[in-house]
Order: sequence, then C-alpha cells, then structure tokens
Amino acid sequence: MTHTSEEISERIVELLPRLRRFARSLSRNQHDADDLVQAGVERAWRHLGQFKPGANLASWMFGIMKNAWIDNLRTRRRRGEVALPEDSGEHPAVSPVDTSTEMWSVSEAMSKLPEEQRLAIALVLVEGLSYKEAAELLEIPMGTLTSRLARGRTALAAALGGNGNPS
Amino acid sequence: MNYGDEILMAYVDGELDAKPRAEIDAAVGNDPALARRIEHQRALRDKVAGAFAKVLSEPVPDRLASAARGAPAAESAASRGNVLQFPARAARAPAAPWRAREWAAMAASLLLGVLISWRMLVPGDGAPFVAGKDALVAHGELARALDTQLASEQRGEEPVLIGLTFKARDGNYCRSFVLRATKTTGLACRAGPDWQVPVTDTSVIPPGEMQQASSVVAPAILRAIEARGVGVALDADAEKSAQLSGWKAGSP
Repeated sequence: MTHTSEEISERIVELLPRLRRFARSLSRNQHDADDLVQAGVERAWRHLGQFKPGANLASWMFGIMKNAWIDNLRTRRRRGEVALPEDSGEHPAVSPVDTSTEMWSVSEAMSKLPEEQRLAIALVLVEGLSYKEAAELLEIPMGTLTSRLARGRTALAAALGGNGNPS
Repeated sequence: MNYGDEILMAYVDGELDAKPRAEIDAAVGNDPALARRIEHQRALRDKVAGAFAKVLSEPVPDRLASAARGAPAAESAASRGNVLQFPARAARAPAAPWRAREWAAMAASLLLGVLISWRMLVPGDGAPFVAGKDALVAHGELARALDTQLASEQRGEEPVLIGLTFKARDGNYCRSFVLRATKTTGLACRAGPDWQVPVTDTSVIPPGEMQQASSVVAPAILRAIEARGVGVALDADAEKSAQLSGWKAGSP
C-alpha cells in the first residue's frame, strides 16, 4: 500500500460519521443507510484512481454514495421491492432504531419527498454543502438545484407542521 | 419589496451576494412579516440539520471502519452478524459469537432488573412486572398489551406502546415496549405463556414527547436485541399473524 492510499484510508475513516449522516438523511432505515455507506466506501476504493489529488474528498465520496443510492433504488424498484415512498412493507412496523424522535419525524417527512428533492435537501441542509458544490455533485444547473430545494422545503415545512415552525 | 421564497431560502443558506443580502438585512427591521418568513425558513433549516446531527457522535460500526480502510468486502460482511437487519434483505450473515459488548449488555440488564425490582414492583394488579422463576415477567396491563396490541394499529395514546417485534435466535418472539406512566422502555421476550422482561431503561424518553415514544429504543435495549441474534424485524402483516398465532415460538 502506498503512502497516498494510507492517507486516503485515514481520511475516509474520518469522513465516516458524515457519510453515515448523509446516508441516514436519505434512508430512514438505519441499516439500509449503513449498507449504503459500505457500498459507497467499497466503490470508492475500487475507483480510487479517478480521485484527483487536491479535489475535495468529501464531495467525491458524497457523489459516489449518491450514485450508489440511485443504483440501489433502481435495482430494487425493478425487483418490485420499493413500490412507493410510503410503502411500509420493507420497514419495521415502527422504527426501532432511531433513538431520536426528532430524527424520526424529519426522516418520515424526508422519505416522502421525490428522490431528487431529498438529495438536494440532504446535501445542502444536512451536509451544509454550498449550492455550487451540490449542483456540481448532482450534475444539474444551479437553477434546477434551487428549485428542487425550494419544492423540497415547502413539502417538508408542510409535513412537519407550521410554516417550518418548530412545533 | 416583495421577496420570493427562493430568495429567502438562499438568504438563510448564506448563498446571497453581498448586495441583495444587505438589502434584506435592511428590510427586515421594518417588515415583521418578512422577518417571520425568514425565521420560518431558518427554523426549518435548523430542524432538518439538527435532526441528523447526532449521527455524527454515534459509534461507527466496525464493518464500515474496515471497509473504509479498504478491507475486502467479504471480510466486512462477516462482521455484520451482530447488527439488526431488516426485511427485504435476502442473504443474512451468520450470527457472530457474543463479544464483550453483548456480555456487558446482559450484565447491565441484570443490574437494571434488580433496580426495577425495588422501584417498580409495587404489589397489586397495577404492577407491570412480577418476579418470575428466573426473570421479571410482564404482568397486568403490560402483559395484555404485549399479547394483543399491534404497533401498526396504535393511536399513540395507549398506556403501553409497542415498538419493534422480532423473532429471536431461539425462535421466540420479542417485543420492545414503552410504559407511558413511568416513561420506561423495555424488551419482553416470550417464554412459554409469559413475557419475560430481560431489560428495561428509563433514560431516553424526553419529557413531553410520548407521541413518538414507541420509536424510541434505548441503547441498552438495542444491545439486548442484538444479543438475541435478531434477524428480521416483523412488518405490520407479520406482526399481525404472529399475534394471531398466539406468539408461538417458531423456527428461528
């Protein structure tokens, strides 16, 4: 193992908490979320050659996870495992794992968003990426990003009660 | 000036250029409605960001740490036996042997059991637990809820809230629950005709948040669940048929 890949290994380990947070904001099932992190990290190692030295490793990893997430959703939809966002069949009757009620209600609301809006919200509101970073990562124009953010936020505000007011 | 929502969102996201930003800063003082709209946007952003913030301080599962270090996938998959897995997953890793963590959890639950025995074992029908042969046994209202209540049909106002139902490694059903009155969460596992209660915890339910309480599972209880080698959490249909079968132990 070269010095560089050892360094990258350490940096990926350091990023794990953020990668897990990103995944949890995409999937309300904790174990699906950790599976996504694992898939993303494994993919990153396979494609390490594509990482440009000096680029932002976090953004690169988020991009890989985004692709892994979308691929995963497509595969499962094809198999008919995920019918609708509301589909409760693949989830426990009540979320067993989230230890926070706040996380639970926000996850619920996030899970009802269209995928493209959920990704935008996760990157900007949860992970704090700039519009520019998020748009590049999602490979969409800025205007598309801001309108996805706006629609996602409006839906979240409605689902969480009030106009975004903490209830 | 009438600002659209998108501008105000960009404002709270810190994405506006200096000039429009300064204009809004100046306008807010004389425009309570504008101030309110900005406050709503800020509150929503804080709420969404805050909801996931605690993931950062959670311990990272071993399998992810080894994957991050570039360990081959097969190796990391082997360490998955000790985590909860949920439906829609075809292959299941074999259960890992107990490690210090699980033993610690068992020890903690025994201790909690002792604490419970003097804190909550008030005599009479109202007690949620009675001392059984080798563990606490659910009693009265708790026993009835464990027998009959379905998590999928709860209104959230019941005195006992059922959380997760699963089949333990030994084939017996276990259910997590919350006692509303004492804000106690716990795990009950079927043992013959009884529900044994190996672990309870009173540390996690924030005051005034019983609404979602059945989704709260204390770490001690999660560890107890993991220690039972759980495979799959039941979905609403499976929960119902398990209840109809009288919670009879099946093949693990």
